[in-house]
Amino acid sequence: MKSEDIKPIEEVEELPDSWWYRVYLGVIITTILVISALWAFSRYFSS
Amino acid sequence: MKFLDWAIVVAYLAYVIWDGIRMTKHSGDVEGYFLANRSLPWWAVGLSVMATQLSAITLVGTTGQAYSDGMRFIQFYYGLPLAMIILCITAVPFFYRAKVYTAYEYLEKRFDAKTRSLTSFFFLVSRALGVGVIIAAPSVILSIVLGWSEIVTIFVIGLSTTVYTMIGGVQAVTWTDVKQMVIIFFGLFVCLFVIVSQFPAEVSLFDGLHLAGSTERLTTIDTSFDLKERYTIWSGLIGGLFLFLAYFGCDQSQVQRFLTAKSVSEGRTSLLMSAFLKIPMQFMILLVGVLVFVFYQFVTPPMIFNAVEKAKVEQTAQYQTLNSQYEAAHARREQSALEYVKNKTEETRGSYIESNKLFNDARKNATEYVKASSGNKSFNDVNYVFPTFVVENMPMGVIGLIIAAIFAAAMSSISAELNALATATTIDFYRRHFKKDGTDKEYVRFGRIATFFWGLFACVVAIYATNLGSLIEVVNKFGSFFYGSLLGVFVLAFVVKRARARGAFFGLLFGIASVWIASFYTDIEFLWFNVIGCLVTVAAGYLISLTVIGEDNAIVH
Repeated sequence: MKSEDIKPIEEVEELPDSWWYRVYLGVIITTILVISALWAFSRYFSS
Repeated sequence: MKFLDWAIVVAYLAYVIWDGIRMTKHSGDVEGYFLANRSLPWWAVGLSVMATQLSAITLVGTTGQAYSDGMRFIQFYYGLPLAMIILCITAVPFFYRAKVYTAYEYLEKRFDAKTRSLTSFFFLVSRALGVGVIIAAPSVILSIVLGWSEIVTIFVIGLSTTVYTMIGGVQAVTWTDVKQMVIIFFGLFVCLFVIVSQFPAEVSLFDGLHLAGSTERLTTIDTSFDLKERYTIWSGLIGGLFLFLAYFGCDQSQVQRFLTAKSVSEGRTSLLMSAFLKIPMQFMILLVGVLVFVFYQFVTPPMIFNAVEKAKVEQTAQYQTLNSQYEAAHARREQSALEYVKNKTEETRGSYIESNKLFNDARKNATEYVKASSGNKSFNDVNYVFPTFVVENMPMGVIGLIIAAIFAAAMSSISAELNALATATTIDFYRRHFKKDGTDKEYVRFGRIATFFWGLFACVVAIYATNLGSLIEVVNKFGSFFYGSLLGVFVLAFVVKRARARGAFFGLLFGIASVWIASFYTDIEFLWFNVIGCLVTVAAGYLISLTVIGEDNAIVH
């Protein structure tokens, strides 16, 4: 395949970085909550 | 297996192969065959990312591991969300905007062809061996259920997946992954419900979890910092972070998933699906294994789960003696468990823990006997626990559903990995070094041949992989030999502006050598290999780059 045969990628409107930073913060907070819940689950049934 | 079970399994297999093959119409040109014309929605890509990672090993190996060792394995995934965030910021936009077909193609733009070829070669070696192990896991199950030889089952699973992947390309892989994930989730929910419904009337789910908790099977966080301890929160957060950065960011079988997305935003969203869902999903799978453990408090479990090894020794006098001791230990443990369920005091708990220890000793004695009589020192039947449980204790219809779910898990991973192996072979080697001016038709045809070749190769590897202990650990351990160093090369590419081609190339070799030395001369657990490989590659690559004067790399990000 020649390089000129590569189809140009359709321009798609991307979400702004500020929006993504909020999403990443949400992922971190959710992860902390999930790990804490697992710890509490483990403690409750192990004692 | 009854007729209904067979019907479910056959219907699943027929549907998924037909569904994959009908994608041929979208796969006529190179971009369509390898990247679905970069047109897939985030949710389909996200499910495909999860399906690719969730292999039959995850179902069979993890449940077996939870039965014997509990939930400690979940800590392995604690670094995954952070890895996904880092990849969303770095790898996704870099790869997507560079308009590459493979992650390694990017390295030629950043460094040189030599570095690209070396990284792609290491990917081919590690992934081709890894996919062999992934085929081996469901073959273990079928060999029990059908009484077939493992070799026949390996070829049935491996080649059926190869056929639709070869014909339909990445479109077939992604859209079958979506349907396979639905089957897997449905199968898991049904499995959980059925196990709990089979507990004795006086034992609730709550009681069962207390029993499991007493034997430390619900441990989800181990804070000890010990490099020789396999699963701790630190090995998960640090070692797991490096492993997942490498797996999702440098392994073509995952990179190819988000390259098929419509945009950078959709690629990011697809990865963040895993960040949100992976830990809860893994918890659910481990919970199945823990509940199987609880179920077997009240039903005598097989002393040896591997029926083939058991048949070889069960007529001997020593086995009979061990079996009598084992059954007596189980009867005592059952009694203690029921007393603890009725009356949860420190005394009944202590008595249950003690009787569980005696039961474990009895099983360990039997395992040692099998090891000694078979001469197989690495004998381990952990992968046989879940399939044996399903076949012996699940009702009609549910057996078929769970077998279909295990098939789905296996095929979703195998197909993505075969497709990635074919892509790297075609784009990084055939097109780059042998046929630069080929037509789309020629590349797609070569891609199909490569898919078939790797499918066959993986089947041969699978034949040797069935006796390797816990299969999930085999895959992760083997990947850790290469992943950290591959990640190191991409860190040099993305982050270190001073990095040069010579530094990246030799840094990679130093990184892999350091991991091999660590594995042979230390007791460090394999998750840490990813950290060692990455750090050595980056350090060596940077230092070597400092010796290069005047070489100007193309910076593509």
